[in-house]
Amino acid sequence: MGIWLASKEICDEKSEMQLLSIKTGFVFLLASLGLVAPIALLVSHAKTVRVVASCLVIASNVVGCFVAVLCFWQQSTAIVDFSRFSPFPLALGIDRLSALFLLLICSVAAPVSIFAVSYFDEHYGEQRRRSMWAFFSLFLSSMVVVVTATTGFAFLIGWELMTLLSAGLILIEGDSAERRHNVFIYLLMMHAGAAAVVASFFLFLPHSHSLDFVAIRTASTGVPAGVKTVILLLAFVGFGTKAGIIPLHLWLPRAHPIAPSPVSALMSGVMLKTAVYGFVRFSFDFLAGSPPWFAYLVLLAGAVSGLLGVLYAIAEHDLKRLLAYHSVENIGIIFLGLGTSLLFLAHRAPLWAALALIAALLHTLNHALFKSLLFLGAGAISRATNTVDLEELGGLQNRMPITGTAFLIGCCSIVGLPLFNGFISEWLTFRSFLAGSVLTGTRAQILLPLMVGVLALIGGLAAACFVKVFGVAFLGRSRSAEAEHAVEVPPSMQVAMIFLATICLFIGILPGFLLRPLVSLVQLLIPSAGVPEETLSIGQVIPWTAATVVGISAVVALFKRRERLTRTWACGLPGLSSRMQYTSTGFSKPIRYVFARVYRPDRKVEQRPGDQPYFPVSISYRSVRTTSYEKALYRPFVELIVSLAHRVRRLQTGNIQIYLLYIFLALVLLLAFLRFRP
Amino acid sequence: MRIVVDLLQALLLILVAPLVRGVVARLKARLQNRRGASVWRPYSDLLKLFRKEELVPPTSSAVFRIAPVVLFAAVVCVTAFVPVVRSSALIDWQGDFFVLVYVLALGRFFLSLGALDGGSAFGGMGASREALVSSLAEAPFLLGLTAIAILASRADIVGIVAWTLKQDFFNISTVHLLAFGALAMVALAETGRMPVDNPTTHLELTMIHEGMVLEYSGPSLALIEWASAIKLHLVIALLIAFFVPWGMSAGDSWTSLALAVLFYALKLAVCAVLLSIIESAVAKLRMYLVPDFLGVAAALSALAVIFTIWVKR
Repeated sequence: MGIWLASKEICDEKSEMQLLSIKTGFVFLLASLGLVAPIALLVSHAKTVRVVASCLVIASNVVGCFVAVLCFWQQSTAIVDFSRFSPFPLALGIDRLSALFLLLICSVAAPVSIFAVSYFDEHYGEQRRRSMWAFFSLFLSSMVVVVTATTGFAFLIGWELMTLLSAGLILIEGDSAERRHNVFIYLLMMHAGAAAVVASFFLFLPHSHSLDFVAIRTASTGVPAGVKTVILLLAFVGFGTKAGIIPLHLWLPRAHPIAPSPVSALMSGVMLKTAVYGFVRFSFDFLAGSPPWFAYLVLLAGAVSGLLGVLYAIAEHDLKRLLAYHSVENIGIIFLGLGTSLLFLAHRAPLWAALALIAALLHTLNHALFKSLLFLGAGAISRATNTVDLEELGGLQNRMPITGTAFLIGCCSIVGLPLFNGFISEWLTFRSFLAGSVLTGTRAQILLPLMVGVLALIGGLAAACFVKVFGVAFLGRSRSAEAEHAVEVPPSMQVAMIFLATICLFIGILPGFLLRPLVSLVQLLIPSAGVPEETLSIGQVIPWTAATVVGISAVVALFKRRERLTRTWACGLPGLSSRMQYTSTGFSKPIRYVFARVYRPDRKVEQRPGDQPYFPVSISYRSVRTTSYEKALYRPFVELIVSLAHRVRRLQTGNIQIYLLYIFLALVLLLAFLRFRP
Repeated sequence: MRIVVDLLQALLLILVAPLVRGVVARLKARLQNRRGASVWRPYSDLLKLFRKEELVPPTSSAVFRIAPVVLFAAVVCVTAFVPVVRSSALIDWQGDFFVLVYVLALGRFFLSLGALDGGSAFGGMGASREALVSSLAEAPFLLGLTAIAILASRADIVGIVAWTLKQDFFNISTVHLLAFGALAMVALAETGRMPVDNPTTHLELTMIHEGMVLEYSGPSLALIEWASAIKLHLVIALLIAFFVPWGMSAGDSWTSLALAVLFYALKLAVCAVLLSIIESAVAKLRMYLVPDFLGVAAALSALAVIFTIWVKR
């Protein structure tokens, strides 16, 4: 390959061999995802090439997992410098924070690619399959670049590619006016966000004189407070747009559902997390904390996103849109943790800050795992029934037992039930809220404990939502012929889901193995923090609790019972039909009724009267959630931009002489500038 | 020795639970001028159900069969968290009350799924209403516990109870009153009691919990009934432990333990009387008034948290 490996490693005592293997593995990962696989796919038309390339994608992700595990558990740091090949400094490196996110990307991408093999094979013809794989592989490599970049330039390249490639993946899936419109909104918001990220990087330049992360870190102490504030706000807006913080989430429920399921899994599970990575990099690593008001802002954004996200999710009956809104909710929970951590840091309580940061980072990893599992489950459902509309599903558990069980584990995890991974991070978040009461004499003393109620409400509503999802999709009677004749998905899809479900359970029952390296990672970011006692205690107690629950269940289940199959009592009617079951809409009605102020439904009832007044021929009913606040927030922006565009258009007359005049004027101005430059 | 006492405490919660239910039912009957069944009736009901065969809808899946088991296991697991006669418990660590609430939620989650698996309208109705009630009850439950945890500067149930034991009963704080109000209201909602749910109803307009278990029979129904009895006992025991723990044994001597059991029985009896009076005197709330009821509980618990600032000084 001829890539020059820089030996700038900051490794202490670990052997050269290990470092070399990390570098080799990392370069292999980058080269195969970013160069070999896509080029082979785009150049060759042979089927074998495509198969080999997809195997290469899977294999390189497995290698990536090993690299990340080595760096994350063994504290190795490796830097690979590509500056020779580019006009700008372009270096990638893996420190512990990067290693965590690299682990997240690769451990999710490996099963998702396995799932994608059969998914792409069944959904697309040979031509589209090839471009799908090429974009898929490039998309993965762009995310790897984002989390391992050690210069601002590399970061921004990865950031931009990530947006464009995911938009490409959505457009390969299909083409329609609506799809284009959604992708347009996605790209528009992403670029607005990217502009904020670029600006926040460039604001460091006058002080650091380079965009190298090390230079930024050392220079950050010299940055004046006002500039710091602007940097923080820009970073929050930029990364918040990518993460889908409400009210910057508009693109999320539009873009995620229309992507193919494996891509949705990556977008929701992994791509959103790169924004969390960016935010942690800026606020903790570069700036080492924030003023208290900023922490309150993050906390508020987290609470609003969490609550509104889950409330919007409950009202959905399109499974993929529902899951997309749950991403908003979980990003909210992550930002609750980050805000709490910043607040503790601002009030000089590093131990609790560390606990909250661990909670947020662990939830980031957990969400990646269970959300991609759930999106793969949605893919499996759509393969089996050709729909992801909950109202047309039902009774799938008996027809697709493996998918159902894996999906159930995903549901329990996202709800945050004990024995599953979501609980561990939510418990840590709860615990750090409770610790807020030690900040006597500050607003946080009340506000953080009150956040317990907010998170509990989010958790309760999420539980209600996933009872609905699993109950309506997998249990009871089938609501359509497709669901009635559904068959289990092929083994490769099952393997992918089982793999993710197993990790969710494993982290949920034995969190200790992950919490220990997380503690040392957080100690790097918050140097004065010790080891929070809670991270150790939960690792010891949860296995016992799990053993109790599982043990009692096993004993009770072994108890011999006689069973007889009988039809469900139908109140004397000849039999029950699937239409007598609760629908998804019906199930969520009480909650939507109670929170009607949030939804502000816009109802339209149309009647076609018949001959007799009380027997209309047909009634149609439509209920649309109004998004008045979204309109109120975005309308002024949109109008401003449109009117600006109209004004700018006057410059563009289409007359070549005018354009030549522009060039001439620009030249004169430049020369004048150079001449009279101070 | 310690472990034996802790184990006995958990067993006490599990085994006495049907009796508590029987006593409450009997007291209610007396208040309504009826004779009422024997207080031991729940035990014979359970025995009878365990011996019966089980009827399973043909469309249902494994979830239908697993749900009662998980519910029972979750509730039994939670008994290990609660101190009853001695301020200690099998599982005791900083932050355990969050786990308590969420293990209960695990059981409820599975029971709701089991209800939906029956494929009838009643199960869906029960599950949908339960989803509303439980999603709104969780916040005041945790906030109330948070308030007293802040007051005691401890994050474990046993620690809070041990701290409360050292306080003077007549010096009780506003926070305690507010938190007690909130938690008592949540307790009624969590255990499916009046005015939130009617445990004796068989009318689809009013039922929540009964609607969910309508398709269950035989041993599965026995497990669910037993689990809900344990839950009732457990929630009462939790309220006693947090708000009137006085009389609990501090040491391991047999006399003090026996005395503590006696005290506990007395307190339990008072709670049973109060519960039966509430249930006889109060009408069931309309479904959409339940959020208001829980909203009041949430407001009380939030106030309790806010008041900790002044009380703790």
